[in-house]
Amino acid sequence: MPSGALLFQSVILGLLLGGLYALLAAGLTLYFGIMRVVMIAHSAFLILAAYLAWWSHTRLGVDPLLSMVVTVPLFFGAGVLLQRLLLARLRAATLTMMSVLLTFAIAVTIEGLLGYAFTGTQRRIQLGYGSASFGLFGARIAVVKLIAFGLAAVALLTLYLLMKKTTFGWALRATIQHRDAARLVGIETEKVAGYGFGIGLATAAVGGTALALDTTIYPSLHWHWIGPLMAIIVVGGLGSVPGAAMAAMVLGMAQSLLQIPLGTTWAQTIFYLALFATLAFRPQGFFGGRLAQRF
Amino acid sequence: MTNRYRRIRWLTALGATMTLALTACGGDGGGDSAGSDDPIVVGISLPLTGDFSEPGKGVQRGYEAWAKITNDKGGLLGRKVELKILDDQSNADRVVADYEQLIGSDQVDLVVGPFSTRLVVPAARVAEEYGMLFVEPAGAAKEVFEQGFKNLFYAAPAVANDHYNHLAEYLLALPADQRPKTAAYAAMDDPFAQGTAYGLKEKLEAAGIRTVVDEVYPPNTTDFGSIAAKIAASRADIVVGGSQYQDGVNLIVALQQLKYQPKLAAFSTAPTNPEFAAAIGNKTEGILSPTGYTQKAPYPSNKEFVEKYTAQFGTPPEEDEANAYTTGQVVAAAVTAVGCAEQGECQKKLVEWVRGNTVETVVGPLSWDETGKPKGAHMIQQWVGGEIQIVLPADAKETDLVYPKPAW
Repeated sequence: MPSGALLFQSVILGLLLGGLYALLAAGLTLYFGIMRVVMIAHSAFLILAAYLAWWSHTRLGVDPLLSMVVTVPLFFGAGVLLQRLLLARLRAATLTMMSVLLTFAIAVTIEGLLGYAFTGTQRRIQLGYGSASFGLFGARIAVVKLIAFGLAAVALLTLYLLMKKTTFGWALRATIQHRDAARLVGIETEKVAGYGFGIGLATAAVGGTALALDTTIYPSLHWHWIGPLMAIIVVGGLGSVPGAAMAAMVLGMAQSLLQIPLGTTWAQTIFYLALFATLAFRPQGFFGGRLAQRF
Repeated sequence: MTNRYRRIRWLTALGATMTLALTACGGDGGGDSAGSDDPIVVGISLPLTGDFSEPGKGVQRGYEAWAKITNDKGGLLGRKVELKILDDQSNADRVVADYEQLIGSDQVDLVVGPFSTRLVVPAARVAEEYGMLFVEPAGAAKEVFEQGFKNLFYAAPAVANDHYNHLAEYLLALPADQRPKTAAYAAMDDPFAQGTAYGLKEKLEAAGIRTVVDEVYPPNTTDFGSIAAKIAASRADIVVGGSQYQDGVNLIVALQQLKYQPKLAAFSTAPTNPEFAAAIGNKTEGILSPTGYTQKAPYPSNKEFVEKYTAQFGTPPEEDEANAYTTGQVVAAAVTAVGCAEQGECQKKLVEWVRGNTVETVVGPLSWDETGKPKGAHMIQQWVGGEIQIVLPADAKETDLVYPKPAW
């Protein structure tokens, strides 16, 4: 029987991990909602942002968090261009399938370019507070993990307010819910979809920076992330940002707690078990998201 | 399968014919004297392209350095050494064909091994059929020594499970009140990484040091917080990591974040990486690691190797290069002692010599058991005073092992 202290520590770690997962998965579910696009390259963009954070820290000496001043607008622009120039050209009938191929190609290209520019050497941002932590009722909370969690909270809250309180957000949600109807009421769905895609990629910039704070990065790392992130957005209900966030918290916590009795290898399978269970019993997802019912 | 058996049968026939033919030649007494001006041709197949191309090229540089240094000193038995290197594209079928070609049609005088366990085993099988001495620079996995090879020798100090032997001896020799009582192990699900940690685990468990955490994680693990939480909660006296690189770094940082302070922390591979100190923010003090090769090792031939290698290639040698060079040294020692280098009867004498003797190499003195497994152990290095230094064994140490280690 694990001690109370270990359980409490695992709950804390699970919360922090779940927050990070929520941030990393937010963009992925947004793309699918807006365009029915399965964006395999999302995690590659995360790693790209992580590399940019590492690069600006090591070469330019600025705090990795400051790199977001550049990467967030940059990724937003790249997202808009990506949607308008490439994804919008795919035929609607085969969009989901073809988007897998297209974004797979983008992922491999990013990985290759990262390897070319920074070599395959594994990198880690060296922060003065990298291993700093503070105590909370006997558990330890690492400063970098808390910063990553804070970034996730801020980014997701901003996204939520944007979607709920602004006209653009309404247009975006209308586009997600029913594209044709949205067009009928005068929403320029093409443009909205482009911006929506940009926002999705902008979350990757924030997520990648959060990731870089506490992980060793290397060009092929994104393959380790895409599987769990895909599972999260399916469990959360494809296209639902709050759903993905809920699923991320639950799965992150489950992974952290299951690690105590089962060990790392089996604890990881929780993502795929949850994916199977969702597809078998509740394809529309467990948290919100009525969208997937139509597929 | 049938195809393969047919090939092996065909090969055996060819091998037998050739052995007869060669014995016949030998009968003329031609052997040594007739070919004394010809170079000694050493056949090698290496993965110069494909999965193992990076280490494969390292091994190639090691062999080239050995040939050059040997030839600069007048060669072997007064004959020049010439390498004949084929590219097996990291492919196990190619490696078999390559060694058949080298031994069968190219009639090389000696062969040495390729890189990685996956290629060493099939290559060794061919060498075995032809009765050739087969010293190899890579192939530390257990399976290599379970095939019943009679001619194979692994030219490195130890297989994975024996890497920590010096550390185990050191810990068990401590007075009872200082000896650690509990240990935590975390190892990557990889035969090499796991082998190192489990080798130490076996010895410590046998001596009564209790295992309180025993975690195995898959190579794609991205989060080490939970593993670290388990280890920290166990308050184990020592922590042992069977790590490659990024997993070792991430686990150490996660442990530091949880303020876990063990008396001893040993991790394979990661701490010897040049990026290591920067990656964990210089909080390296006291971390231990086994190492098969270091440029600083005090063995006499190593000084010469590092100097001449650096002059030839511009950078100092790493472990792959050193292992290949060691392979060359072992073969050269055998050839010099026995006084022959050609196919046939001579190979048997070379094998016998290597089995019965100890060879001084750049990684220290090497000797082997009947399966070709080296009898040594790896040197243990420790981060002391901001740099990684040899602490064990006693005859090679640069400084004393610090135990219990200072807080990180």
